[in-house]
Amino acid sequence: METKIFAFTGKGGVGKTSLSAAFIRILSETYEKAKILAVDADPAVGLSAALGIEPKKTLDDVRLQIAESIEKGETGAAAELLSEAKFHLLDCIAERGNISFLAIGRPEAAGCYCKVNAYLKQVIEGISGNYDFVVIDGEAGIEQINRRVLEHISYLVLVTDGSKKGLQVIGTIRQVAEKLVTCEKTGVIVNRVPAGYAPELPDLLAVIGDDDTQRRNDMRGESVFALSEDSPLYCGAKEALKNLQENKNGIV
Amino acid sequence: MELYNNVGRQIRALLPYAPAKRAPYDAAACAPEGEKDRILFGSDTAYELGGGGKQSAEAVLFADLPEEQSETLLYGPDLSEISSDVPFGHITVVKMKESEDAALSSERLKTIGFTVFQLYPEGYHIRISPAACREQVRVAKAALQKKPPLSFLNVGNSLIKAFLRHPDVIAVQTAFITDPAVDYKALSVLSGKTKKITDAVQSTLQLDELDCASCKMKPLCDEIDGLRELHFRKEGKR
Repeated sequence: METKIFAFTGKGGVGKTSLSAAFIRILSETYEKAKILAVDADPAVGLSAALGIEPKKTLDDVRLQIAESIEKGETGAAAELLSEAKFHLLDCIAERGNISFLAIGRPEAAGCYCKVNAYLKQVIEGISGNYDFVVIDGEAGIEQINRRVLEHISYLVLVTDGSKKGLQVIGTIRQVAEKLVTCEKTGVIVNRVPAGYAPELPDLLAVIGDDDTQRRNDMRGESVFALSEDSPLYCGAKEALKNLQENKNGIV
Repeated sequence: MELYNNVGRQIRALLPYAPAKRAPYDAAACAPEGEKDRILFGSDTAYELGGGGKQSAEAVLFADLPEEQSETLLYGPDLSEISSDVPFGHITVVKMKESEDAALSSERLKTIGFTVFQLYPEGYHIRISPAACREQVRVAKAALQKKPPLSFLNVGNSLIKAFLRHPDVIAVQTAFITDPAVDYKALSVLSGKTKKITDAVQSTLQLDELDCASCKMKPLCDEIDGLRELHFRKEGKR
């Protein structure tokens, strides 16, 4: 089976992480034998809590470790750097059932990491082939699209709330992505909207109402796996996934 | 290469007198080849050699071997006799053709040493940290359930085969160490020293400095027998 990559992006605070987590849960339940890689590419690092999976290390920890080994002269040649990146990458992958979790982390040190980033990108691209599905919870805004971190994906999921600003952000992302991202399909999820709100968008996947059950779930510190199957978030994510795979639009 | 003789002797002194298994290279008994970049997931792993915070050491030495016959040695239990994470050592000695051109020869050392990074036996997921001189291996449950199960001798044959593809390599002796009585901490220190020698050979040959008093390599030359001679031999040939 060819790896299908879902990337979630949009304005901050619109529910990208919750939706990514819901997609991951639904994929893991629907395709029990499939291997799923969940990538937390948001420096806010929320997907870990949403899934209830705690990684021992983030990719940024690895990046720092490799940068230090270069400075100390312990590694230098391309083959050594690649081997070093592969060595540490396995420690970054936390597993739970058929889900593997990988967090990019929060870059805190100054300096140029271009060389290290290039090796890490190569390694991540290399491991993607081990999975049937890769779900990326992206950073808010267009930075990761601009920097071509999200370059080759299957589905670009634009998440917005009902605000004009949210819709403007996904409009900008869409324009930039058309130029820089190789993508099979793009779709929009409008999240956390008042009842009766029905935006007109050509590639609408789902409209999800304000979800009190999910908010309570978050307040209790419970993962997406504790969420009821009739909650608006779960139902909306399921509808969006179905529409994305079947090329239909839907309102929940 | 004489440079590695001292560290080679020190490593040998850490190992039991006789290996538990010793087998000449057999190209027909290699481990089945797996896919590059294939991850062995935790749920499919029986145990990890050098994993779970256990000690681990990996080194490639370029030195003379008493015979030109390549072989695999095993000190300690074999893969099918291990049931949980254990400390692990993997030391490989490579005998190379003598070269007149020291600089060219040093360049080849690194390239040939990288062979260990490009081995993908099925059900035997190797990962190497060159910075820490560590080698950890996830061993698949499925590989141990096969009849006969995957063994270190299979993996050793695969590694030797890969090394022998380099035209400058004459023979290879690869030793896997799982004996719990071995001092892995000391082995790790010696692995670091081995890497330091390989790195130093290259750095020394790239240097044009002839005054030892002001040379940045002096501490290393003082520590590694033969390094200074190698540098001046190259300068003398110019």
